Amino acid sequence: MRIMKAALLALCMYAGFAWAQGSPRLPDTGASRLTDEQHFAVRYTSHIDPIAINTMHAWTLHILDRSGKPVTEATVRVEGGMPDHDHGLPTRPRVTQNLGGGDYLLEGMKFHMGGRWQVTLLIKQGETSDRVTFDLDL
Amino acid sequence: MSNALRGTLAAVILAILAGAGWYAWTDRDGEAWTDSEIHLIRSLWIANLPPLPTGTGNAVADNRQAAEFGHRLFFDKRLSANGQISCASCHRPGHFFTDGRALGEGLDTVRRNTMSIVGAAYSPWLFWDGRKDSLWSQALSPLENPLEHGSTRMQLAHLVARDRHYRARYEALFGPLGDFSDPSRFPATAGPVGDKDLDEGWRSMSPGDREAVTRVFVNLGKAIAAYERLLLPGPARFDHYVQALVAGNREPAEILGRDERAGLRLFIGKAQCINCHNGPLLTNHEFHNIGLLSGPGSLPGKGRINAVQGVLDDPFNCRGDFSDIHPRECTELRFIRTGANLVGAHRTPSLRNAAKTAPYMHAGQLATLGEVIDHYDRAPAAMVGHNETQVLSLRRKEVRQLEAFLHTLSGPVAADPKWLRAPDPADR
Repeated sequence: MRIMKAALLALCMYAGFAWAQGSPRLPDTGASRLTDEQHFAVRYTSHIDPIAINTMHAWTLHILDRSGKPVTEATVRVEGGMPDHDHGLPTRPRVTQNLGGGDYLLEGMKFHMGGRWQVTLLIKQGETSDRVTFDLDL
Repeated sequence: MSNALRGTLAAVILAILAGAGWYAWTDRDGEAWTDSEIHLIRSLWIANLPPLPTGTGNAVADNRQAAEFGHRLFFDKRLSANGQISCASCHRPGHFFTDGRALGEGLDTVRRNTMSIVGAAYSPWLFWDGRKDSLWSQALSPLENPLEHGSTRMQLAHLVARDRHYRARYEALFGPLGDFSDPSRFPATAGPVGDKDLDEGWRSMSPGDREAVTRVFVNLGKAIAAYERLLLPGPARFDHYVQALVAGNREPAEILGRDERAGLRLFIGKAQCINCHNGPLLTNHEFHNIGLLSGPGSLPGKGRINAVQGVLDDPFNCRGDFSDIHPRECTELRFIRTGANLVGAHRTPSLRNAAKTAPYMHAGQLATLGEVIDHYDRAPAAMVGHNETQVLSLRRKEVRQLEAFLHTLSGPVAADPKWLRAPDPADR
């Protein structure tokens, strides 16, 4: 009986382990997201699709406020990297142009490895600051 | 059957089963590639090599006459202080445009290992630390480096002016050469090369004359670059394998052997080589600290961190006066990054023909592919900065398999054979 219990426990442990292994949390690769404090909604559109590694390219950012109106005077800073590899982007991308209507041109985007990347935009409009992180799987 | 015999037999069978199980668990050879593995393998296929990058600031980059002129310059030993050194002295066609030495040998011993030129036109950065941002700009450096060609831009301008064949080729491409015949204005040799006399001679010239001479010098670099753009890697055995795989043959075993396939699986998996050695050239053209020891008798190279400001200030960079494109198009320079992780970082080289281009690393520190794999396997602490790589814990068999795979990346240079030898002297 004791052996049966031990076997059952082992089976449960194995099943639990296998379940945990088999269903990793999928990264959110959506291109539209709310900022952490929900002050802004941000969508990015890459000028190359699909995004290829080792290729310099630009994104257009579209930023709306809580009421859905375009945010037209934001400043945006960009950070990014590979959380699994503990390194950043190979370039220093930045917003080079306010295109109007809540659109911003983000240039200098480049990814130099396949795998999971994160790009964080730090957005400031007036006194309001917020951030949003996009997950990309390349 | 006695109990003892039965027991022994059972033990033997169990041992065989356990051994087979262990083998199956640790050796996936014979298993078909998964879709994600095929995706990765395809990404390394030479057929996916994009068209050559444009926008390098070289208006004659794809001009055939420029390539022919550059071909002659590349093999011409007169482009040196002692008439003995050409580009081809270190970039030897028979060695995939490397020299087989730990450190390059020009007029003296150079501090760096000679990089291959094959496929270099794809890299946004040149040299091990990326201190140049175009082929044409790179080509200028060795010409005036006292350890390499030891020439000067004034000497080279005179050479073009006095060799009527060169002069004709030059003027057909770049317009009238100018008159450098007045020795009071144009000394026999002069240039900003860090030598007292040569520097003084250069400073004694008028700004206009210096500019005219520098323009000629730059144009020679652009012609050499036009030639170098023709030196591209051809398909290796690995590429034939991928081609068969893509054509629907899930396991074209006759092209790559068992160890080579196992090595490929390690390359894209456990050994993590593909992280940086990615794409059809098996390089991401970026800078990484991999914990190398310095070369014998020298301090550890600071690598990329020391080169960033240099390339930004370089008068021969993409946005300088000698570039043929608008500074706005110089995206690599505009969005260049610096930072602590670039301390001790050097450029990822292509692995195409790696087996034929020993020794390895920026100072030729590692003599064989086996030593290279062993280095990555151990991931030693860096002497400067931080080693980005992690211990791999490869088994001895896996080291052998990985090395076997690297040998499958050897292939020809995909260029007309005439570009791979010195031009015929009769054909001026």
